[in-house]
Amino acid sequence: MILYRGELYENSRQEELIARLKDDLWTPFSEGKALDRDKLIEACDTLATRVLGGEYDDIVKPLLEMLSISEEEFQSMAGLFRKEGLKYKCEIELCDEERIIDGKIRRKRMPLGVLMHIAAGNVDALPAYSVIEGLLAGNVNILKLPMGDSGISVKLLSELVAIEPSLKDFIYVFDVPSTETETLKSLADLSDGVVVWGGDMAVRAARDLTEVNTKVISWGHKLSFAYAEEDCTDQELYDLAKSICLTNQLLCSSCQGIFLNTDSREKQSAFARRFFEIFKKASSDSHPADYGMRARNAINLYNEKLERHVTGNDILNEDGVSVIVTDDPELKLSYLYRNVWVRRLPIEKVISLKKHKNHLQTAAVLTSDPEKRKKIEEALTAAGLTRITTAGHMSRPVSGESHDGTYALREYSRIVEIEIS
Amino acid sequence: MRLAKKLFSSKKLYDLPGTEKRFVEAMRENAMFHYAHCEDYKRILDEAEYDPSKISTLDDIIDLPFLPTLYFKHHVLQSLPDKKMLIKATSSGTSGAMSNIGFDFSSLWLGLKMVIRVGKYHKLWSLKPQNYIIFGYQPTKENNTAVSKTALGFTFFAPAKSRTFALEKSPSGYKLNWERVEKALAKCAKSHLPMRTIGFPAYTYFLLKDLKERGVHYQMPKGSMVTLGGGWKQFYAQQADKKEFYALVKDVLGIDEDHVIEFFGAVEHPILYTDCRCHHFHIPCYSRIFIRDPDTMRPLKNGNPGLINLTTPMLRSAPILSVMTDDLGVIHDEPCDCGLSTPWLEIIGRVGVADIVTCAAGAEKYLKDE
Repeated sequence: MILYRGELYENSRQEELIARLKDDLWTPFSEGKALDRDKLIEACDTLATRVLGGEYDDIVKPLLEMLSISEEEFQSMAGLFRKEGLKYKCEIELCDEERIIDGKIRRKRMPLGVLMHIAAGNVDALPAYSVIEGLLAGNVNILKLPMGDSGISVKLLSELVAIEPSLKDFIYVFDVPSTETETLKSLADLSDGVVVWGGDMAVRAARDLTEVNTKVISWGHKLSFAYAEEDCTDQELYDLAKSICLTNQLLCSSCQGIFLNTDSREKQSAFARRFFEIFKKASSDSHPADYGMRARNAINLYNEKLERHVTGNDILNEDGVSVIVTDDPELKLSYLYRNVWVRRLPIEKVISLKKHKNHLQTAAVLTSDPEKRKKIEEALTAAGLTRITTAGHMSRPVSGESHDGTYALREYSRIVEIEIS
Repeated sequence: MRLAKKLFSSKKLYDLPGTEKRFVEAMRENAMFHYAHCEDYKRILDEAEYDPSKISTLDDIIDLPFLPTLYFKHHVLQSLPDKKMLIKATSSGTSGAMSNIGFDFSSLWLGLKMVIRVGKYHKLWSLKPQNYIIFGYQPTKENNTAVSKTALGFTFFAPAKSRTFALEKSPSGYKLNWERVEKALAKCAKSHLPMRTIGFPAYTYFLLKDLKERGVHYQMPKGSMVTLGGGWKQFYAQQADKKEFYALVKDVLGIDEDHVIEFFGAVEHPILYTDCRCHHFHIPCYSRIFIRDPDTMRPLKNGNPGLINLTTPMLRSAPILSVMTDDLGVIHDEPCDCGLSTPWLEIIGRVGVADIVTCAAGAEKYLKDE
């Protein structure tokens, strides 16, 4: 489905509509029609109310089921589209709308212009959310739908235009396959910025797609973990385990494993055994993990055991959860779906994580000692982490929170300075 | 290998109860051989405190430590010196990592006996020359994949009048040459000799679908056959409903369903499974299959889905006597209309989750690979 100036079209019209795009795209700028942010926020709020009221349950419910998103998580996700959430976000991210510098320069924030969003399919309403962020900063937005899109993004955005028709010149949605690089290039050429969501491959592809004079804003995939002291409480370990079971470790912010502040293998093993027992309990308190993934991990773990003579790893494995105790201190992806590693990383070596640069995201800190917590927080942020949370909140969405160490709306803006004559 | 030879000389291809004693004895002989000649295999059995000389029932084979195919991708295991290996085969590598398995003369000899008997039973042998269309790679010196070798091997069931390969080597790797395949098909349809296609089910399916969309229909000569091998690989998600597939074959090539034959096998388990006219993979006397519960690794009762564990005493060159695949399957023992009373294996698909959604760095690639 294509959304073009508020109208829905079949994909067969794509070529013709893209050819027309260059004449239509700049209309809001040439006619001096800035986007009215208050109206946008009102429209988003109306839409969120309708979604939460069950008006789109025929599409929403199967999606939540498929992605195993709980009603509670869904409520908090939808809350990001509500008036209070969006207003708060703008207040924080766009606090510097206009000011006078040095008494003679008028500085103001303006939209970047045209943003092209290359969305990933990892969270279904995400493509629409990305466009709404672009709109909040005042941009005209071209959305390239992810492969296998469920249709919910077009649905939400076309509803948004129906609620607030003045948005029609600011939203374009196309269904161009990622393989049609020429078409994507032509869309990127028309854009001031390209926003890309996805893994390293997707980010690289977006960079290849763009000319040097196009800004690339990448929301890439990240790795997250927990950092623990032995003095952490069982409740903290349970909360962490529960969040691991809830996200199946598939999110940027999901915990892949636990670094323990120690250099003793003995302490590491004892800690792993302690966590393992709690982990099993948390897993049995959660929805069972997917059968196919359990089967896959059963083979991986069996193989891990056969390879123990090479790796020196200890594998604790029962009831569909596992903990691997390993000697190397590297930050790595886990086997996912309730399988974590436990590694030793003394606090003075936390800085070694810095080599992962932009792949770092969230770390949960587990300790019952506030002094230690403070030190750990300092070490982790110095190493490059951008979110530090408590044990159970690694993946909780919060309105007004920054995104991977920056504010999306500022990335979608430019600062303009005009000397006062 | 005396006992393995005895098993592979069995006259009744699908007689499992009648060959059970031979099978168990051959497995014991094979396990003891590898235990004595492959250091890594010995270590694995020792760690499990398993004594191969004590194998005396099928239950003992259930307890024999199995090796996952993944293990062969990380380690080269062999029980004979390199110079004895006549052929080295690698798995086709859906992902990057590949298994390397060597085959010595005696193992190949058993394989040949098996192929002759399977070919006879399924009426694959023919003296009439055939036009072969192979939806696979043209074997080259560098290309060791078992699929390309077996694909070529199949062209010896009946003399080849011509062989056309769909995948050709180009500087950037293998690519599908549709044009060449279509030309060959058109030629086959006009020939008085039967045609046989061989290759990946997915390629065959996509090619036929493409031809159908373009309105192309042929009536292939009598005796023509569509043979499928190599599994559905990364195309499980699009795995065509089998009935739809047979209808497509009939529609595009004019070949009846009973002339569509699928094979199944793996580098790590080179037993030739051939589907019967009801399209069931009955288990031949050369192997036994256990379906295991992923949570406990214990065998499940027939009819329940689980991990497919394949066992055979065929190879002397490598300890592949009990292998755990990455596939999920079910063993059925309900009666089959083809007349065989032995159980048959249904492959459900690969382990893992289809259409995974993730933003954890590296997870996408990890889930797609292996």
